[in-house]
Amino acid sequence: MKTAAHHPDHSTMMAYGAGALSEGFSLVLAAHLETCSQCRACKVEAEALGGELLNELPSAEMASADMSDFWDRLETAPQAEPPAMTRHPRHEGLPAVLTPYLEGGMESIRWRSLVPGIRQHVLEGIDSGNGSVRLLSIAPGTTIPHHTHGGGELTLVLEGSYSDEIGRFQSGDLADLDPSVHHQPVADSDGPCICLIATDERLQFSGAFSRMLQPLVGI
Amino acid sequence: MIQAATGSVVYGGDTQGVAKMQAVMTIQSVPDFAPQLPNQEAVDCLRLVASEQDKEAFGRLYGQFAPKVKSYMMRYGADSAWADDLAQETMVQIWRKAGQYDPEKAAPATWIFRVARNLQIDRLRKRKMHEVELTAEADRADEGPTGHDRLVEKPDADKLRELVDTLPSDQMDVVRLSFFEGLSHSEIEQRLSIPLGTVKSRMRLAFGKLREAMGETT
Repeated sequence: MKTAAHHPDHSTMMAYGAGALSEGFSLVLAAHLETCSQCRACKVEAEALGGELLNELPSAEMASADMSDFWDRLETAPQAEPPAMTRHPRHEGLPAVLTPYLEGGMESIRWRSLVPGIRQHVLEGIDSGNGSVRLLSIAPGTTIPHHTHGGGELTLVLEGSYSDEIGRFQSGDLADLDPSVHHQPVADSDGPCICLIATDERLQFSGAFSRMLQPLVGI
Repeated sequence: MIQAATGSVVYGGDTQGVAKMQAVMTIQSVPDFAPQLPNQEAVDCLRLVASEQDKEAFGRLYGQFAPKVKSYMMRYGADSAWADDLAQETMVQIWRKAGQYDPEKAAPATWIFRVARNLQIDRLRKRKMHEVELTAEADRADEGPTGHDRLVEKPDADKLRELVDTLPSDQMDVVRLSFFEGLSHSEIEQRLSIPLGTVKSRMRLAFGKLREAMGETT
């Protein structure tokens, strides 16, 4: 498997390990980590820090000193899957974490055209505060107008590629963009460039003109 | 209870020294509290729980970690009774999932932190966090000859402790707000009234030192 050239910022990986990211951001990172052993290692490192911080917390005495109620509970507690662990089969070309949201795979997506050359599909049922998680499909050669970001944004390339002021992003590459980034991406391979994009809770749009642009501020 | 267990009055002087001594004091001042479990012994305990459902071994893990997890849950706003309940539930999962624990991939504290964190996110903040647990086969397939194969170093417990004790307080502050309050970078920006770029750079610096402590060279 090809090694990704662009990865999440280390500060983002710290927040992921800490459990401080929105559901939408964690979804995009999980999709990147499926094919990136380097970033999986970063996550474990951040979690090791969490383990050490846990070790150094003052101990809060448990109500039952002899564990008797723990053993009672162990017998009666229902066997449940741990929360938020995703186990789904892989669709070709689709990260496993996306399969619950795209059960028919990439082919079954009902794209909505935004402007000529750019289509999107919003993933429902993912908590992203005021942000969103969506797929964007950009036709070859199409340029997304110059723009900045209202808040943080994670973009993972699923198919095809694009280039911007930062570099060239291919399948598996992740762009970790903060509000200061100005860029003008161009889909630059033969097929469409399909991206998974999460925006965070700080995205704030007000005026009519900004609202019109909002669907475009995805990459 | 948490506050009562710390001994800041006794140990005046530089703050890092106080933090260090508080950690030691805490362990000594809680009655019938097991001494801190060394990493390798915790690994052995988890093995015994997985292979023989060894209650005595589990009791040692429980003595070490349940009070820490309870304390963690209280930082996220749970009251004592709720935190107690969540700490027990965390330990139920540790008992049941002990067979999945792989000492090659993470230290026991890392693994237990992960279970506690996920339960905290689910119950206390009613959020979701997506993670992917790859099968061993998929993990290997990913590490092809051209792949960037970077082994996860097993953390050296002493070095990690030293890291936490020596991290500059401005970096430690953002780390704690992230790990113990679950604040996003922009929420930390607002809480501390510092620019977002500063929040991120402090996080990056802390991560760089973390990697050094864990034997990374990159």
